[in-house]
Amino acid sequence: MLRNPEEIVADGIKEFGSEHESIMQLLTKVNEELSWIPTIAIEAIAKATGISVAEVYSVVSFYSFFSIEPRGRNIVRLCSTISCTMTGQGKILEALIDEFGIEPFETTDDGRLTIETTPCIGLCDQAPAMLVNGEPHVKLTPEKACDIVHGLE
Amino acid sequence: MEKKVLLAENQPEFGAGFELALTMSPADVVFIVRDSGIKGRGGAGFPTGIKWNLAGAASSDVKYVICNADEGEPGTFKDRVLLEKYSERLIEGMAIGGYAIGSSHGIIYLRAEYSYLIPTIEDARKNMIARGLLGKNIRGKGYDFDVEIRTGSGAYICGEETALIESLEGKSGFPRNKPPFPVNSGYLNKPTIVNNVETFCAVPHIILGGPEWYADLGIGDCSGTKLFSISGDVEKPGVYELPMGAPLKDLIDLAGAGDIQAVQVGGASGRTIPATETHRSLSFDDLPPGGSVIVFDSTVNMLEVLENFMEFFVHESCGQCVPCREGTLQLMYAVDDLISGDICSEESLSDYFRLAEAMRITSKCGLGQTAVNCFVDIINNFVDFTDECVSGKCCCERGDR
Ligand SMILES: Cc1cc2nc3c(=O)[nH]c(=O)nc-3n(C[C@H](O)[C@H](O)[C@H](O)COP(=O)(O)O)c2cc1C
Ligand code: SF4
Repeated sequence: MLRNPEEIVADGIKEFGSEHESIMQLLTKVNEELSWIPTIAIEAIAKATGISVAEVYSVVSFYSFFSIEPRGRNIVRLCSTISCTMTGQGKILEALIDEFGIEPFETTDDGRLTIETTPCIGLCDQAPAMLVNGEPHVKLTPEKACDIVHGLE
Repeated sequence: MEKKVLLAENQPEFGAGFELALTMSPADVVFIVRDSGIKGRGGAGFPTGIKWNLAGAASSDVKYVICNADEGEPGTFKDRVLLEKYSERLIEGMAIGGYAIGSSHGIIYLRAEYSYLIPTIEDARKNMIARGLLGKNIRGKGYDFDVEIRTGSGAYICGEETALIESLEGKSGFPRNKPPFPVNSGYLNKPTIVNNVETFCAVPHIILGGPEWYADLGIGDCSGTKLFSISGDVEKPGVYELPMGAPLKDLIDLAGAGDIQAVQVGGASGRTIPATETHRSLSFDDLPPGGSVIVFDSTVNMLEVLENFMEFFVHESCGQCVPCREGTLQLMYAVDDLISGDICSEESLSDYFRLAEAMRITSKCGLGQTAVNCFVDIINNFVDFTDECVSGKCCCERGDR
């Protein structure tokens, strides 16, 4: 069961405090647990830290790992920088799009999966690479990438 | 030739450098680092000893030691390898830095893409605590030090040290105006040193080996060794350690590459050179030794490479200042027009080159200032306007020329 965003924020405040400088940690916690950051979480963080909702919102919108749109419970981030594109990233992306029926930055209707492309993830020596729920997967082929994503809950 | 110190098989025990430092005065530690001649390994190459001296001289009860583990430069993965294998060495280097400047508080700012390394770094921290090398009153010297890990959230600009500090403070990663410099007013307006992972990892070796030993590891005027991440069209991509100042050719030979069209040194913001220039040296005086080297063979369309990088900069510009926010976009459009054939002569690019120069001079931070390098280098070195049109479906036919 997914927890209520306000509960996650309350928990986060116990862990990280309610100073201005805790905001990134609070947002990261919500974002990791829910895959995105609902408005009620932003409001709860604003209230607890005494920072305006607009300012917390602007922080959320600055960072590409945060999302104000619901995302799938699994997030695939395929590297789109040159060492990966030179080693077949394009074919992998095509295969994922075909297999799962969504374009980058879209989510499947059942809420299982979001696919994103992302700049260099520092795995160029094992390209092409992707992060799946934060875990690295390297030396991908289209088949291997699809198998990994099929294997997700 | 490889020269392994940071990546050596047989390494001094973790903590030995810190223990030795604790027998010296903080000022002596700063002098050793200064005399070693080490310059920051994160790209900008500022002398580490001078930075530490300034932060040490700043008067404040609270100071911060921040490790920049945001490694976002395309093609760079050396810090990842250090974090995977040598997190203890990193924390040891930070503890030495803290002792040198009078700080008890270390923060590792880790890019979100490397979050999977948190358990590894936490384990390293716990080992250090278990051995009495972190915590209160370390080795009975009355010195306290500990580190915490904080993560970014997918923003390349947060590798810029003042943007990183803003991010740590819970804000958007907009680079600050300098001065004041972080050594005087950094995290929470307290004196702060920000150093790269590799810089901190080198410090314990410098303390143990001495400044002359370290300085002599480099070639000519260069000091120490340097890690390079090499990828692209090479047989053995990976991280190699070479003397600072080594010729690029040595690195390429280690990784193995036959057919070379172009080499990009220093990542997207670095320089892109043809195969005829691989004799040049990896040093702060020549090719930027930031860490990334990408080799492109003759089958690669360099304009597509450029397009990939310009998209990167457009995406990663923080948008705070006009030359960078608008300039990166315009340069990206120019590349698109080159690819589509809508621009096919050098003359039609002259305005873009002027724009690039303006960006270099007027952008607020390093991102905008260096985003133009790949544009200028790739167009100057790899686009041949005298031959046929780059695209083959040229605008000349339409009489625009
Ligand atoms: C756009 C931009 C991105 C940067 N990214 C990094 C980075 O990922 N890691 C890093 O150590 N330094 C990075 N830097 C350099 C830092 O601002 C700073 O100079 C460095 O962390 C200082 O540490 P050093 O002296 O040990 O190199 C970046 C600079 C700019 C302008
Ligand atoms: S140069 Fe670019 S990244 Fe740097 S402050 Fe200006 S807009 Fe932001």
